[in-house]
Amino acid sequence: MAISVLLSFAAGKAQTKNFKTESVKIYGNCAMCEKTIEKAGNLNKEATVDWDKNTKMAIISYDSSVTSKGEILKRIALAGYDSDLFFAPDDTYANLPECCQYERAKKDAHNMESHDMQMAKDHSHHSAMTQDKNALSSIFENYFSVKDALVSTDGSLASEKAEILLKSVSEVEMDKLPMEVHMAWMKVLKDLKQDIGNIMATKDADKQRVYFKSLSKNMFEVIKVSKSESPVYYQFCSMADGGKGASWLSLEEVIKNPYYGSQMLSCGKTVETIK
Amino acid sequence: MTKYKYCLAVFILILSNFFGYGQNVVRYDLTVTDTIVNFSGKDKRAIAVNGQIPMPTLTFTEGDIAEIVVHNKLQEGTSLHWHGVYLPNKEDGVPFLTQMPIAPNSTHTYRFPIIQNGTHWYHSHSGLQEQIGMYGSLILKKRKTDPTFREGIDDLPTVPVILSEWTDIKPENVHRMLHNANDWGGIKKGTVQSYSEAIKAGHFKTKLENEWKRMLAMDVSDVYYDKFLINGKNESQLSQFKAGDKVRLRIANGGASSYFWLSYAGGKMTVVANDGNDVEPVEVDRLIIGVSETYDVVVNIPQEDTAYEFLATPEDRTKSTSLYLGNGTIQLKSRMPKLKYFEGMKMMNGMMNMDGSMDDMGMDMSFQKMDMNTVMYPEVTGSGDMEMDNQTDHAHHTMKGNAELVTLNYGMLKAPHPTTLPKDAPVRELRFELTGNMNRYVWSMDNKVLSESDKILIRKGENVRITLYNGSMMRHPMHLHGHDFRVLNGQEEYAPLKNVLDIMPMETDTIEFLANAEGDWFFHCHILYHMMAGMNRVFSYEEQEPNPYLPNKAWAYKKLQKESNQLHFMAENDFASNGNDGKAMLQNTRWSFGTEWRLGYHDDHGYESETHIGRYIGKNQWFMPFVGFDWRYRKTDGIVEKNIFGQGNTKDSRAVLSLGAEYTLPLLVTLQGEVFSDGNVRFQLMREDIPISPRIRWAFMLNTDKEYMTGLKYIVTRNLGISTHYDSDMGLGFGATLNY
Repeated sequence: MAISVLLSFAAGKAQTKNFKTESVKIYGNCAMCEKTIEKAGNLNKEATVDWDKNTKMAIISYDSSVTSKGEILKRIALAGYDSDLFFAPDDTYANLPECCQYERAKKDAHNMESHDMQMAKDHSHHSAMTQDKNALSSIFENYFSVKDALVSTDGSLASEKAEILLKSVSEVEMDKLPMEVHMAWMKVLKDLKQDIGNIMATKDADKQRVYFKSLSKNMFEVIKVSKSESPVYYQFCSMADGGKGASWLSLEEVIKNPYYGSQMLSCGKTVETIK
Repeated sequence: MTKYKYCLAVFILILSNFFGYGQNVVRYDLTVTDTIVNFSGKDKRAIAVNGQIPMPTLTFTEGDIAEIVVHNKLQEGTSLHWHGVYLPNKEDGVPFLTQMPIAPNSTHTYRFPIIQNGTHWYHSHSGLQEQIGMYGSLILKKRKTDPTFREGIDDLPTVPVILSEWTDIKPENVHRMLHNANDWGGIKKGTVQSYSEAIKAGHFKTKLENEWKRMLAMDVSDVYYDKFLINGKNESQLSQFKAGDKVRLRIANGGASSYFWLSYAGGKMTVVANDGNDVEPVEVDRLIIGVSETYDVVVNIPQEDTAYEFLATPEDRTKSTSLYLGNGTIQLKSRMPKLKYFEGMKMMNGMMNMDGSMDDMGMDMSFQKMDMNTVMYPEVTGSGDMEMDNQTDHAHHTMKGNAELVTLNYGMLKAPHPTTLPKDAPVRELRFELTGNMNRYVWSMDNKVLSESDKILIRKGENVRITLYNGSMMRHPMHLHGHDFRVLNGQEEYAPLKNVLDIMPMETDTIEFLANAEGDWFFHCHILYHMMAGMNRVFSYEEQEPNPYLPNKAWAYKKLQKESNQLHFMAENDFASNGNDGKAMLQNTRWSFGTEWRLGYHDDHGYESETHIGRYIGKNQWFMPFVGFDWRYRKTDGIVEKNIFGQGNTKDSRAVLSLGAEYTLPLLVTLQGEVFSDGNVRFQLMREDIPISPRIRWAFMLNTDKEYMTGLKYIVTRNLGISTHYDSDMGLGFGATLNY
């Protein structure tokens, strides 16, 4: 049956003697997939692809002197669609529009694994947050959340985290702080509140970064005195703030710059380690 | 007494016998021949060894004696260099430095003991032969009894992987075009970065500032290649591997000028060695392998009935090459998205001072830790301009950046054992600045090419510590022959050993090695076209034994110097309806011999030519004083034209000498001032290659003789353009421009 279909097509489309027509399965599920699949497969004068979303079968015809079934299916797989010859890259598949997230031809073992790892990571983060040995530790925790949001240039998340930070700032029982920490805290409190409020008020990460610079500087003044259980790294990037330079605090020694997001993620160096 | 002597003799005999037994001579015969290949659809000349490209993989075990017999069947001299191998200097394979070239139709034997293990490679060190096929893997196996043998790593199945690239253009021509700032490669790659593209991308100001700072379009690589290859093939499969297998890839970058990104569809890769030296295993998502570096990585085959793509992408991301590991449906790796060139240009603008020097803004960059190119990587920074089908509403989907990708850098390399040098040895400190001039393709160290520098003398037994600063705008893989050096990357006594150091723009890196192998050793940038442009030095041991293969070393060194400072020829002529317009130039690192002509078709249009012999001055080569000779004839019936200084000038017939100078102004406009032997003075402003669109160039000229010219050229092919121009002498014309 399949052969007779194939033959009839071959006869119908015999424009040149090198033109070959075949029927192949390509995984996918909607009209939008159809468009992407055909666009990826078609190549002027070399190959045409006609995919049927109901049968998941595609009729491909191509000039076998210049291309092959493999090349066509590879292009389609690189656009996100599995076939019996090629599996699409996982990240390309994940980036397909939701309606195109078809059931894949392959088992998904290592995706599961990375999911588990992600869970474990989240978990450890939570347990760290519940410990409260230093009266200011929740302040630092929440500061780091704001910083992480800025590292990933997520303005609305930064705004949310700033709100939590502001809440924890107002909950600090100052009289329980050791004397010198108390002094340092008093000195910066007003500016802290103002900067945090400003970060809260906008969802534009670039504007938030302006306030984050002075917030970080004040945080450093406090943490220098109050210390921290795990080492904290005071880091500096000379390019930030239009070349004036800016600092931040981090729990990791690896540089992840909150002033540029991913663009200049690694700009900076550790200038001081607080233990 | 005699008895004692007798005993000693017997002992020596036994001893030599013992070693003779252990030392296994492994011989390879290599026949070098011309061949025709077809990588791109066109038949082209290449060089094959034993009928194949790449050259055969040579395998030895530490302790063997290598005996490699080279039969040269080419019409030209050749040589083979054993990259990264410790050997006697005369076996190092650098023509005119450690041996004479192997003459056509002759045989030469390389013979040396193998005293190390690891992944290395070998290649021709003669001219540009490496580009057209003369590269191959060289695997030095570790003995099972070696105390450093690592179970689970050194006993895995291994696959030699040699990366390379192919261009249909003859490499000599590639080299010549690079020196003439021919941007055909840019057109083919889509990286011209013209004004129209800049405006489209909203980066007009960026482009303008870039040209204001006298920079040409920036790119991460210089040459356009038709195909990229793994083991001589663009795509290939090794189906013998099954689910659960671990495979050690012994990767060497045998490309002449391409850095490659390496990534794998079956998960993370574990880096276990670099440049033939073991490192502590480190897991990464991707790594970049510099020209001539080697990396050993271990990969897994996670599932049944699936083959996994090992993908090598050249740094400019124009194309890629793949090796599929396993049997079954092929799991692909996503392709690397196109570079955002204007972002890179913007970054460069910020770093470039007006005087052509660069400013790292106090960032103390080193060891690839901070890749400035990251601003151009959409997979890291995210991208708003992904080309997707945006006719349907919700398909306009921006790709999210992924900051969690683990990319290897030199800071992550750590030797498994201490690598410290003897503490009591004297230390020799050397410092080099890597310098370059993209516009004229001059690459040098401390602004001197090899032909302008003597050998650098070092002494056996001293620790040589070299600090390198890259003040040029491109990265350079600096390679030292005959030694491994420690890269002082913060791993203290576990500093990794390497023989190639990739150094990015504005980085400062320090390396050190014990001078323990006498001879003359090359130290050079391994980008073939940079090496041929003179980015080389020679370290020479004081008081060394003479080299039997090279009796006259002083003469040979002059030959070597000359090779990397050749004259490059270019010519172009516009056959237009109103006359011929053209020029021819012969240039090397510093000198320029050029002549221009404008030949009309009638006497009243005139004929003229200007010849200049000049020397480029300074690091940026913006200034060129010259002497010249002008000749012109034009029938003007005695009308005297006056220049703006009021000096008279009949153009009827004039032959004068001149003294003058050219200076490159911001926006790459050339200002020329000239005093002629008849007392006349002329100033002229000119630019010929303003990139309006990817293929359209605008030219203009204006001078104090009240002459002017403006024209447009559309570039059709590498050697042909269609042009129109208006000239104050010859009027409006249309024509075809041929260039070489």
